[in-house]
Amino acid sequence: MTAQTLHPRIRVVWVLRAVLVAAVLSLPFAGAYYLGRLPMWAPAVAGGVFLAVGVVHAVLKYRRWSYEIREDALYLDRGVVTQVRTTVPLVRIQHVDSRRGPVERGAGLASCVVYTAGSRGADVRIPGLTPDGASDLREELKRLAIRADGEDAV
Amino acid sequence: MKLAPQSVPYRALQKVSGFVVIAFFVANSNDWGLPAAAAAGGAILLAALAYEVAYYRRFAYELTADTLDISSGVISRREREIPYRRIQNVDVSQSVFQRALGIAAVDLETAGGSSTEGSIRFVKPDEATRLRREVQRRKSGSSAGETDGTAGDDEAADRGAVGPEEEELFAISPGELALVGALSFDGRLIGLLAFLSSGSVPVLSGFIPEASAAALTATAIVAVGGLFLVSWVLGAGVAFSNYYGFRLSRAGDELRYERGLFRRYSGSIPTEKVQTLTISDNPAKRALGYASLSIETAGYAPGQSGDGGSQAAVPIATTDRVYRLAHEVESFGAPTFSRPPKRIRWRYVFRYAIAVAVLVGIAFAIDWYVTPDLPWYGPAVLLLAVPPAAHLKWKHRGYWLGDDHLLTRNGFWSRTVTVVPYYRIQTVIDSRTIFQRRWDVATIVADTAGSSSLAGTSAAAVDFELDEAIELRETLQERLQSALTSHRDRRDRFEWFEGDVDELVESDPDADAAEATDAADTTEIEGAADTAEIPDAEGVSDARGTATSDATETATSDADGTDTEATGIPDATDAEDVEESPDVPDDGVIRPDFSTSDRDYSEPAERIDTGEYAVDRFPSDADVAHRGDEPREESDDEPTVDDGSTADDETDGGSAESDDTTPADGETADGEK
Repeated sequence: MTAQTLHPRIRVVWVLRAVLVAAVLSLPFAGAYYLGRLPMWAPAVAGGVFLAVGVVHAVLKYRRWSYEIREDALYLDRGVVTQVRTTVPLVRIQHVDSRRGPVERGAGLASCVVYTAGSRGADVRIPGLTPDGASDLREELKRLAIRADGEDAV
Repeated sequence: MKLAPQSVPYRALQKVSGFVVIAFFVANSNDWGLPAAAAAGGAILLAALAYEVAYYRRFAYELTADTLDISSGVISRREREIPYRRIQNVDVSQSVFQRALGIAAVDLETAGGSSTEGSIRFVKPDEATRLRREVQRRKSGSSAGETDGTAGDDEAADRGAVGPEEEELFAISPGELALVGALSFDGRLIGLLAFLSSGSVPVLSGFIPEASAAALTATAIVAVGGLFLVSWVLGAGVAFSNYYGFRLSRAGDELRYERGLFRRYSGSIPTEKVQTLTISDNPAKRALGYASLSIETAGYAPGQSGDGGSQAAVPIATTDRVYRLAHEVESFGAPTFSRPPKRIRWRYVFRYAIAVAVLVGIAFAIDWYVTPDLPWYGPAVLLLAVPPAAHLKWKHRGYWLGDDHLLTRNGFWSRTVTVVPYYRIQTVIDSRTIFQRRWDVATIVADTAGSSSLAGTSAAAVDFELDEAIELRETLQERLQSALTSHRDRRDRFEWFEGDVDELVESDPDADAAEATDAADTTEIEGAADTAEIPDAEGVSDARGTATSDATETATSDADGTDTEATGIPDATDAEDVEESPDVPDDGVIRPDFSTSDRDYSEPAERIDTGEYAVDRFPSDADVAHRGDEPREESDDEPTVDDGSTADDETDGGSAESDDTTPADGETADGEK
């Protein structure tokens, strides 16, 4: 399997999230404006900056994200500010979820969560899959994990 | 089994103890406060007693053949079965009151979950010891003596009655205990005061009398000094009572510890459950030649292990003794750490300089806000300490790849060496922050199922050159796989029959064909897979011939097997070869490759375990065997399917694995496109 990218529509989800975050972050500015401490343009500019950063982040995140099932491990490559490459040996997979949050359902997407017994990054989430893709991936990982037939590591 | 009856009043009193404080205030509030408080207290106590009686009546635990069953709960009832194999560690603790009452709390930890899985409060101390022993006995019984049946049980029972002999690994001496106390420092008080005072600086500033700056500074210094002294005494007291009488011993395949002055802790940790070892020291300990060791299991949920961190932590011992102890648990050889590139010291210099700048900024802000004329530029003196700190930080970083373990070292103040067996690695994480990318370095974290990663003790090789980091990542991954393979070989030594039948025969023609076409090319399995594609059909049609040729093949395949064995297992870079190659033992029977076993687990093992395959191992039949009785002629079609899939596999990543993989791969790929 070559490296897979996410479904392009995940950008919509992430951009929406960025909008929400920008709105929340610019609330204090709006409050300060309301109390007359800041000029009127302050909340707008702050919101705009937050939004721009969020949108750029979302786009870069999408470009960066890839996953790949190799012979004995699941490889994930992601992260904008901190680039993270995670290797999840198939043997270590404890269980696999495919899940669809409300926003994801709205965008017609789903994600797949891979759990290991590890203490950090114990659950690895692959977002931006089609619903069928997510359940296929889940089944595939389940099958590979069973085949890898690991002894308990814990 | 029931709890100890004394646990009823104890638990009830424990429940209402929080109420006492409220009752005290109520009693002091007005005239009729006292009777009201007494009445309410009595009622609550009665209610608590009634509840605890019900709890006592409901609570039962039982040691069955392979699980510990606990049924509990008054209002919502819960039945819980914990397989012995899953139990990580058993901890017994007794506070002063509990000792006076003759009761003990037993906690059984498993790897999952956010809290203690089996909490038995409270039983008699003898019963607690018995429980601990029984759990260990039954665990080793269920894993090793499955087939032994009653004989094994009896033997184990004998052993349990006496208990496996304990070999003392470490017992703390009074001098060491004093040292632990002296080197312990409880920062929590300072943290608390800092937290409390952080909000009150403006308020306090109003109370500060008009005094000279010098007097103010002197008072501050005295106050801070006193605070540190109190913290130190507190820390010493806590450490002393925690580690009083610390003893670590090995009994059979488990480690036992006991410690504590007021509250006694004791427990056992199976050595097979040990995830990581952490050896840490700080400048004071280093100067005196001491270090401490902690043993992590996956049992405790993060932040749950309470004070003193891991339960079985050797608080202090001379450094070489700590290393000897560590070698007792995990034999990892003598490490020689490789350090990050020297240029990375500049990164630390910048980092610490920024930290100092921030400190100065804060000091200036306080000075400006409070307006006493303090020398706010004081923290700038710390700049002098930046270069040595950066150098030390660099010097203490490092990693080492042992035969079976990864060792990492970090920390410039308190130095921590983490020992992770490759076999315990869960995930390998390669992360590069935006700053690390500017320096072209990366951090590799080998995550385990240990408990204290929140405290940051997971093994991390920080700030290594990109290519070195990538290589480390790949190596860890490979070594994990080879460690898994060798563990599996050990586990499956006596039950290799359970493996997949077609797996074996499938690898059979490949190997045979390879040997037929290229006898010299025995170890190179990828080559074997390549060549197998062309003569595969021939190999299949010649099925009968293969079966007979097996015997003659023995000599060559034997050499083949030992060859891969020799090159593959100690040298982890050949892990793939080990996985792919049929493991040919001395008796000449080619065993199935378990690493890629796709045994159908919905089928009972007996179906495969008929021994049928020892007779009927024609490749053509093998594909059919697990699908029922299809006619032999089908076999001609099968290999073509196989060929396609192997070809697919080849393009995927050079893996010549089972034929099931690739069609499914294709499906998923299609589904996603």
